[in-house]
Amino acid sequence: MQRLWLAAVFVLLGYTFWVSPDISEIAAGIALFMFGMQSLETGFKTFTGGPLENALRRSTSRLWKAIGFGVATTTVMQSSTLISLLTISFVSAEMITLAGGIGIIMGANLGTTTGAWLIAGFGLRVDIAAYAMPMLVFGVILLLNQSRPLKGLGYLLLGLAFLFLGIHFMKEGFEPFQARFDLAAYAVPGILGVLLFTLIGMLATFVMQSSHATLLLIIAALATGQVSYENALALAIGANLGTTITAVIGGLTANVGGRRLAAAHVLFNFLTAVAAILLIRQMAWTVDWVADLIGIAEDDYLLKLALFHTLFNLLGVIMLAPFVGVMERLLIRHITFVRRPAEQPRFLYPEALKTPATAVAAVRNEIGHLYDNAFGLIALGIGLRRSVIESGQALTEAVQATRRLVPLDLDEVYETKIKSLHSAIVAFIGEVQQTELTERWTQQLNLLQQASHDIVEAVKATKHLRKNLTRYGTSPDPAIRERYDALRVQIAKLLHEIQVLRTEEPGAVTSLSLDPLRLSVQTARRKNMDSINQMIRTRRLTPYVATSIINDAGYAFELGENLIEAARALLVSTEQTDRIASERLALDEQELARIANAARSTVYEPNQGDLTP
Amino acid sequence: MKTRLLLEKLGHFLGQDKVSQRQEMKSIREVLKKLKNKEKHLREELDKDLDHDERHEIQTKLHVVHAQRLKGLDRVKELRAEQSGNEKSKGSD
Repeated sequence: MQRLWLAAVFVLLGYTFWVSPDISEIAAGIALFMFGMQSLETGFKTFTGGPLENALRRSTSRLWKAIGFGVATTTVMQSSTLISLLTISFVSAEMITLAGGIGIIMGANLGTTTGAWLIAGFGLRVDIAAYAMPMLVFGVILLLNQSRPLKGLGYLLLGLAFLFLGIHFMKEGFEPFQARFDLAAYAVPGILGVLLFTLIGMLATFVMQSSHATLLLIIAALATGQVSYENALALAIGANLGTTITAVIGGLTANVGGRRLAAAHVLFNFLTAVAAILLIRQMAWTVDWVADLIGIAEDDYLLKLALFHTLFNLLGVIMLAPFVGVMERLLIRHITFVRRPAEQPRFLYPEALKTPATAVAAVRNEIGHLYDNAFGLIALGIGLRRSVIESGQALTEAVQATRRLVPLDLDEVYETKIKSLHSAIVAFIGEVQQTELTERWTQQLNLLQQASHDIVEAVKATKHLRKNLTRYGTSPDPAIRERYDALRVQIAKLLHEIQVLRTEEPGAVTSLSLDPLRLSVQTARRKNMDSINQMIRTRRLTPYVATSIINDAGYAFELGENLIEAARALLVSTEQTDRIASERLALDEQELARIANAARSTVYEPNQGDLTP
Repeated sequence: MKTRLLLEKLGHFLGQDKVSQRQEMKSIREVLKKLKNKEKHLREELDKDLDHDERHEIQTKLHVVHAQRLKGLDRVKELRAEQSGNEKSKGSD
């Protein structure tokens, strides 16, 4: 079906170009313009993965900052689509709030109007193609470079050059029409005309996937008198509406956060369009008044259209900015989270692949989900309820009170809740690694992949441990029971401590926070070995059972080590200012072993003297 | 004017070690301050009425924090020694 459609479009375009070479020139102009937009996007994407993401995260603390950020970035990049899609991926990855995202989208709508000024004020007045030529040459030379930033710069220059060439060809294409046809004769007056041309503008933007391309078309047509000024205003309103379609498509592949933002984008542009249509006369009057104030000639309809585009988007921002909070609440209430089953990925969306930062955040969140699944499974494996471990209250008593372990097919749960999710994470990381990544992001992805593997290993250790636990865990022999209870308490406490760390403020967990957990795991292992040896000596345990307990203590140790390493990758921020100092002060294996030995032999009491340097 | 700027830049470049040492010292001092507060808090916790398990857990944390602080102090001493060594060698030049 899609191929048939494509073939039909090709045939139709081919026939049109054969009939009218002028239309083919206009179409070539649009094609070059759109290619230029794509090159610009590619160029800017080269520079994402650092400053842009950091700025995006910092810019959303206040609404005015978010709007300002949207205006500034869209003005520089000349692509509200790129900013909208980036923002959707950031909201999806929970890196910025929905309200912050709405602010950026509002700003992007305002920022994109600078494109109209550029085309109307500069593009159609000077020989813009002359500027494109050197840019093309420099762009291609830069593109041949190996260096990533230089290549990016090459794409930016090429993008601008193709934009300029596109504008030039479109201007040239419309000129012959001026003498031969008068499309303006088909102008439709009144509200019907406004609605009709709004719809045409919307459809044109939907087809070309760029409001800039539509605006260029409108301005070029207006310059040659092929469209009336009033209808051009309606076309501009339609272009604004049409631009939301790309965001909606982007939002559909995103998670609930992304969908909410895409809905906010549609809502904002729709309400702005409705206001502009209803107030079109007043808007046109305001445009005349402001144009007079800033010295735009009365018959300069090109600049007046650009002014109208800016003013009606500004109207939208002024009208809706006070209601961002209300809009956020409404969207959260009505676009709800369809909770996916625990075995399905919750954060791995194609939208997250837009930038390395969002991809890494999505992987981190998904590993958090995997950890949650593993937590539940390990808790069940050691015969305790999740809530009991989370509360951390009377864990020893809860373990001692266990009469029987609930039968559980750990293999099946492992396959559905752990292995499938781990596979999805590994596959997603593979996809991310296919994009161009800097050393920093590659390193973070490797760490996260290792964390996912550590979680899987911890669950596997639980599976091994569970075999003997079902056999001996509730043994009537007090010596055996005591040892298995000790292992269960050790694991439950570790799970609880990691849950406590997971609730800490972002950035609060350092390598130092994990040292007590590592020490606990080591101390427990040593104490366990001491107790088993003593029980063998006093014949409270047979060597046969004792070796089973030793093996299981090994699994419990392995489980602990793996969970701590997973927690390190998940919780210790790589962006903390004191990260290096914390890592330097974190204890190594020997230092931990020394403390563990001291704790085993005596009641260790650290010196209370003043240690201030 | 340009020569002066170049010399300044060269001096800054040659002094990179010193700058990074100073930054590390500052960063470690900040971490040590946090650890000191944490140790104080844990000692206060120990004074409370706790069961055996709770007491043992807090003691474990206390051991670790104390060892981390000692390690930090050693590093501060090392950095000081390195800095004074640098200054002496500069003086003998």
